Amino acid sequence: MRDTQHRVLMVGWEYPPHNSGGLGVACEGLTHALADTNANIFFTLPYRFSTAVTHMKVITCQNPAEVELALAGRPPFLAYSPSVVSPADFALKDSIELSALPQSEIEQRVNYYADQVLSAGKQLRQKYDLIHAHDWMAFPAAMKLQEKVKKPFIAHIHSTEMDRIPSGHGSHYIAHTEYLGMQRADRVIAVSNFTKRILIDKYHVDPKKIVVVHNGVTPASKLVNDELQFATKRPMIVFMGRLTAQKGAEYFLQLARAVVDQIPEALFVVAGHGDQYHSLLFQSAYQQLSASVLFTGFMRDHQREALLSRADVFVMPSLSEPFGLVALEAAQRETPVIVSENSGVKEMLTHSLKADFWDVEKMASYITELVTDPVFRAQVVTGQNEDLEHATWQNAADNVSKIYSKLLEKKS
Amino acid sequence: MAKLCLYFQLHQPYRLRPFSVFELNQDLNYFIEHKNGQPKDENAQIFRKVAQKSYIPMLSLLLDIATTHPSFCFALSCSGVFLEQAQAYQPEVISLIQRLTETGQVELLAETYYHSLASLYSPVEFRRQVEQHEELVQELFGYTPKVFRNTELIYANFIAQQVEQMGYMGMLTEAVDRYLGGRPRTQLYRSYTQPPLPLLLKHAQLSDDVAFRFSNKAWEEHPLTAEKYVHWLNSYYADEFINLFMDFETFGEHQWEDTGIFNFFRHFVDRSIQYDHHFVTPSTVLEPYALAAKSTESLPVYDVPDPISWADIDRDLTAWRGNSLQNDALRLVYSMEADVLKSGDAALVSDWRRVQTSDHFYYMCVKWSADGDVHKYFSPYDSPFEAYNRFSAVMIDLQDRIRQQQPAQTAD
Repeated sequence: MRDTQHRVLMVGWEYPPHNSGGLGVACEGLTHALADTNANIFFTLPYRFSTAVTHMKVITCQNPAEVELALAGRPPFLAYSPSVVSPADFALKDSIELSALPQSEIEQRVNYYADQVLSAGKQLRQKYDLIHAHDWMAFPAAMKLQEKVKKPFIAHIHSTEMDRIPSGHGSHYIAHTEYLGMQRADRVIAVSNFTKRILIDKYHVDPKKIVVVHNGVTPASKLVNDELQFATKRPMIVFMGRLTAQKGAEYFLQLARAVVDQIPEALFVVAGHGDQYHSLLFQSAYQQLSASVLFTGFMRDHQREALLSRADVFVMPSLSEPFGLVALEAAQRETPVIVSENSGVKEMLTHSLKADFWDVEKMASYITELVTDPVFRAQVVTGQNEDLEHATWQNAADNVSKIYSKLLEKKS
Repeated sequence: MAKLCLYFQLHQPYRLRPFSVFELNQDLNYFIEHKNGQPKDENAQIFRKVAQKSYIPMLSLLLDIATTHPSFCFALSCSGVFLEQAQAYQPEVISLIQRLTETGQVELLAETYYHSLASLYSPVEFRRQVEQHEELVQELFGYTPKVFRNTELIYANFIAQQVEQMGYMGMLTEAVDRYLGGRPRTQLYRSYTQPPLPLLLKHAQLSDDVAFRFSNKAWEEHPLTAEKYVHWLNSYYADEFINLFMDFETFGEHQWEDTGIFNFFRHFVDRSIQYDHHFVTPSTVLEPYALAAKSTESLPVYDVPDPISWADIDRDLTAWRGNSLQNDALRLVYSMEADVLKSGDAALVSDWRRVQTSDHFYYMCVKWSADGDVHKYFSPYDSPFEAYNRFSAVMIDLQDRIRQQQPAQTAD
């Protein structure tokens, strides 16, 4: 606990339980740890947040009158009009769902949120000294507010459009918003050196402005053995993530084909949902993997933990992964992890196995080795446990606190 | 003054219950779900519902008509899995069929016990399932079928060959124009095999007028009255066969009672008799050929090199094996044959045969337009992908049970 209290206005977009990706989870872990180091946080969200949170003050940046109106029942045909964003729906889009919308609607939502954050931020201007915004959805709000209240602005990059759309043909609007936000920010936090590289190469951010702060992971509750008595007759290899080009599930299927040729009873589990779902099912069947690959859909909570714990190997073959929190979660459950060379988490999991996402041969031989050689497996797990000692949110929060302090020093 | 040959199909599959990765290798029933210790048997629920709406009222109506009109006769084909479920869930259905067969006016047809596609994949398994079906029909009704109808009227030259070898006097199938040419579907044909097998071809238009179009208000002939329908029949000659083949559930399930379908049927029989149409059953038509009183060789040839069926617009097999999901599922099932049978495990054999039921593959069809609508209507699942996922999980579990058997055998 530090003596000087940091007073921060954080601009968020999603927070558990309403999140399908890692952004909400990271915000939760980081704010908890910051609060423990005596930070006073206002956290804005674009929807009404009903879960009880005590470590910070959540501010709903949405016009309450409109919400009431929405709940009271509008004419149903309004839903068919593309120009009307219903506030009730507004509340229901996490960052991933948001980026799937038409651009005009994305802009409308993000700008609407910016106006709401601005008015809340102006009212509270005596109560915070820093603005800390998480990813592009929050940047227009942070920039507007900074212009008004003239307080230091930190842009925290959890993922970029270049990661999400590895082909490079992502949304120009989103990439441009990211660019503007980072240019205007006093500091940019990147979740990994891998991401820092992208920010320098692709967004031309001044390297001196970027500080890398790795994410942490919340300690996991151990599952009892009873809860892991499923699919006991097969070595299980798990993929967990959105089924989009970014996450490389297609390579996971190729990997399954290669491993099953060696170990016929190997079971590959694909946990997640996304726009590649149908195509992946066809690919799996086409490669004659119907009794080797199982698609489970999106998983939460207990099922997710059980799967990560039960897995004999966890594979993250992402094409571009700014961090990759789920690999830490797998490692926490003593599951050996194979991570993509194009990931941030590999910087923390130094003892995990690494391969290029396209190097199916290498990943296949790792899997064969992990499944057949208990000594090798134990060695990887022991190493990962060491890595995990550093992977705490407290470490992340300490690093963020230092950035806060420096910015405030400079100012005064 | 034509000959009217009616055949109705009675079939219900054992639908797969939800089956996930967490349920693998736990000796769970694939068809009945247990929730909090209570069985949740969807198959029983569906069977009882259809029995109330269709089986019981229509069988009772048929019995009533048969009693009042000694010249009325028709054929029924009941899959083994239908009869099993009737015995378990609604025995009244069995006793009604028994009373019908006692009138001597009902002919029971031969088919595969599991309503499977075995004829396309395994001649040996095909024969076993036909024999198993014959045994059950014999046991329940004291009746030995003489004429064969394959699952969904699937037919090709090589299937006729197998059916002829099993000693049946003839077979029912679809009249498909690409093989029939311009020839009428109202005469007898023979298979393009040696020795030849006599064939009765379905009159699709007149059958589907009742089965699919009866209650369709957009159809120009709606409403279809018995007078109008019999008037259409009157245009045929006395030596022509009008083969009206349809699902039994047409009466009361596909066409609900309130469409007037039951009344229509009663009046159709009355009017047909009034106009001197002659009801026949397949075996009475085919007997002279079986006894060599008439020459099968002299019948025109129906040459079908690629399999046909009575399904969808194209009357081909794409309803069951038109995409990679279906193809791989089928490949898997039949690749297990030798190992399953070698196991001598009766429960394993029974489960393996139950998953051969054609409906499982039908549910995985992803066709669009009118065919897709029909598939959707018949499917218990939300999507073809859900059907595939359940099937895939069950295949994994089955494979594990087979593998479990194998070490024990090498030890012998």
